[in-house]
Amino acid sequence: MKIDIIKEVSTIIPFKNTRFTSILIILFIIALIAPYVAPPFLTYILLTFFCYVPIVIGFNLLLGYTGLLSFGHGLFVAIGMYTSVYLMRNYGVTSIEIMLILAATLSALAGFGVGLLCIRYVRIFFAMLTLAFSMVFYSFLLKFYWLTGGDEGLGIYTRPALLGMKFDTLYIMDFLTKVYYYYVLAIMVILLIFMYRITTSHFGICLRAVKENPRKADESGLNVKKYRLYAFVISAIYTGIGGALLVQVTRHVVPAITYWTYSGEIVFMTLLGGFNYFTGPIIGAFVYIVLRDLIMSLTIYWRVILGVALLLIVIFVPGGLMGGAKSLSKLIIKKRESYEFS
Amino acid sequence: MGEKVARRDWIKVAGAGIVGLAIGAGATYGLMPPRVERIEVKPTPKPIPKEPLRLGVVTFLSGIPAPSGIAGLRAAEIWVDWTNAAGGILGRKVELLVEDESEGVEKSVERFKKLTVEKGCEAIFGTESTSTGLAFGKLAEEMQQLWLSWDGTTQQGLEETIPNKKFSFPSIYNEAEAVAGAVLVAKYFPNVKTVAGINDDYSYGRNCWEAFMSVLKTLRPEVVPVKELWPKLGESDFTSHIAALDAAKPDLIMSSFWAGHATIFLKQAAAVGLFKKYKGAMVTAGGVLPTLKKEFVPEGVLIGCNSWYFEHPLGWPLRDKFVKEYLRRYGEYPVYECDHAFFTFQAYKAAVEKAYALKGEWPTKEEIANQLRGIKVPSLSGYRGYREDNYQICNFFLGLSKHDPRYDFVTLDPLDMVPFELMCHPPEMKFHDWVKTWKS
Repeated sequence: MKIDIIKEVSTIIPFKNTRFTSILIILFIIALIAPYVAPPFLTYILLTFFCYVPIVIGFNLLLGYTGLLSFGHGLFVAIGMYTSVYLMRNYGVTSIEIMLILAATLSALAGFGVGLLCIRYVRIFFAMLTLAFSMVFYSFLLKFYWLTGGDEGLGIYTRPALLGMKFDTLYIMDFLTKVYYYYVLAIMVILLIFMYRITTSHFGICLRAVKENPRKADESGLNVKKYRLYAFVISAIYTGIGGALLVQVTRHVVPAITYWTYSGEIVFMTLLGGFNYFTGPIIGAFVYIVLRDLIMSLTIYWRVILGVALLLIVIFVPGGLMGGAKSLSKLIIKKRESYEFS
Repeated sequence: MGEKVARRDWIKVAGAGIVGLAIGAGATYGLMPPRVERIEVKPTPKPIPKEPLRLGVVTFLSGIPAPSGIAGLRAAEIWVDWTNAAGGILGRKVELLVEDESEGVEKSVERFKKLTVEKGCEAIFGTESTSTGLAFGKLAEEMQQLWLSWDGTTQQGLEETIPNKKFSFPSIYNEAEAVAGAVLVAKYFPNVKTVAGINDDYSYGRNCWEAFMSVLKTLRPEVVPVKELWPKLGESDFTSHIAALDAAKPDLIMSSFWAGHATIFLKQAAAVGLFKKYKGAMVTAGGVLPTLKKEFVPEGVLIGCNSWYFEHPLGWPLRDKFVKEYLRRYGEYPVYECDHAFFTFQAYKAAVEKAYALKGEWPTKEEIANQLRGIKVPSLSGYRGYREDNYQICNFFLGLSKHDPRYDFVTLDPLDMVPFELMCHPPEMKFHDWVKTWKS
């Protein structure tokens, strides 16, 4: 029975074709040469996007693969950010590797604690509980001013050392777009490979089984709650690492990161790209960050525009941009085949 | 008969005198510093770039602080129109590029970088939020970009975070209006013994309360706080807070509400006649003075207007011209953010022109920053400037509310101008150490 259900869902494993692999390679080459051919600000936007990749793929392990919608993932981004800032400001830590390890550890611990309580529930109850935890943390960050800087937040005044190397004399934009960019790109690729392995592994297939039909999965011998908790913890680790990477770009962290609207942005990115696809949230994050940058300069009503876009996507292309692209390609193939037959 | 001087003796004496003079003159000449020809070196003027000068603005265009941010932007636009009509800065037309600050620190930092790196802005103006101010101050130093703040500072709480600023020019200290308010409370309400505070639950509100009580207790040691209320920023229902204030029966109610919530609070307080029963010190409410209507603000409430009061008995032609223009364009009276915004642009222009006069070519950002330190220029509220530690220098206007038949909102009479030195501690001292030096 257990084997059956795994076989059933294993048919959905994403992207094993060579065309996709070649697209990935081309994109990777573009990412590699971007700092030398693209304008510096575009490279900066790409860097921001790279930092968001672990966040959205971590989030989507819960939503897309386990069927749990978290509305409080800003909590783990904040843990990653505050951990790094705290280490740099209070303990003089400059090694970014230490920051990443600690951010991941603390996020895992927080994810375990929060997850333990949240995974008992599903659907709206799960979403509300995660939101509540995030808002509790928001209040904590605001009220414990002496520890967290309150609403003013905490800034960092030094540069991190990457693999033990210091770049203090470099101009900040050169550091970000020429050095840190490649570091984050490398981390992102490693995390992507790991996540791909997770989602295509036996564990990932079990998660999908839990998502598709938890009762059936339970009857098949899968410990549904255990799988949900594992997914929650992994998701928290990814999001925390994303936060730790992102704070070196923003150089400042404020409690607003844990406010529900920020978690809403993570949900938005994922829905925009399509949560049923491994690459969906990544494309969603890219489109969202680029669009946000373009529209924000044009109008203060940019959220309205993006909101309408999301509304249209949910109504007309429920699978997100990836789902739309897949439907379109199917339609083209179908038309081509009918043309060949005729 | 007197002794006759022989001719030979006279010749001897005269000869010795001449020789002595010659030696003395020779020695003096030899010891004199070499004579230097003073040649006036005037820099050969180099052509000024022809392309428009891009200046970035990051301020609140939406959200609770938007009325203030938009007022500042309007003042900036009027300044740009006037400056361009007069030929620009050294002949360069000024172009404003505007971004919204309301999306939080992360996105505001992104906007700062976009304006600097992509749009090529020579300086960034604006900023109201304390958290954005903290981030921008650091960013300006890291990016070597000029940042002339309207309202944001680089203070964390009451303490400075960037001691040796080069490129960041923050606004006046956050707690200035609270200090000025406490001084005037001691002056106008000498019998106050108990104080209740209602301030926003965020850094500005908490810093203002801390500074207010610190100064007031120094000037009037017998004063005690009897109630502290901390509604969240954005609150619009103060009925329970008003009931709590009424129950505390303080001699004075202090608040640092500064935007639309000051108007809402005063309206709701009027329903129970709160400020008819107790003295009031709304130390920053003058930021929305035209909305403080006479029907809900009684006379005798101490109101702080920051650096700007729309009318002044002494008169100031630039203020009158600006108020007229602002009324013509927008049909309302300007508020203090207009003065902060206008000043930053005036200071920038003057600094560019001073640096150009020295160098003879369009100055670098560092050269402009050097000229900004210690500068003094005419702004809407009078002469204003920058201190050597890059902080703004300006005087604040506070006074007691009065019902003037010419206006539908309250005006201030008597109006006090509190000098900068009385509100802001010197850079080498911390706030509380400075207050300890005061005498009660």
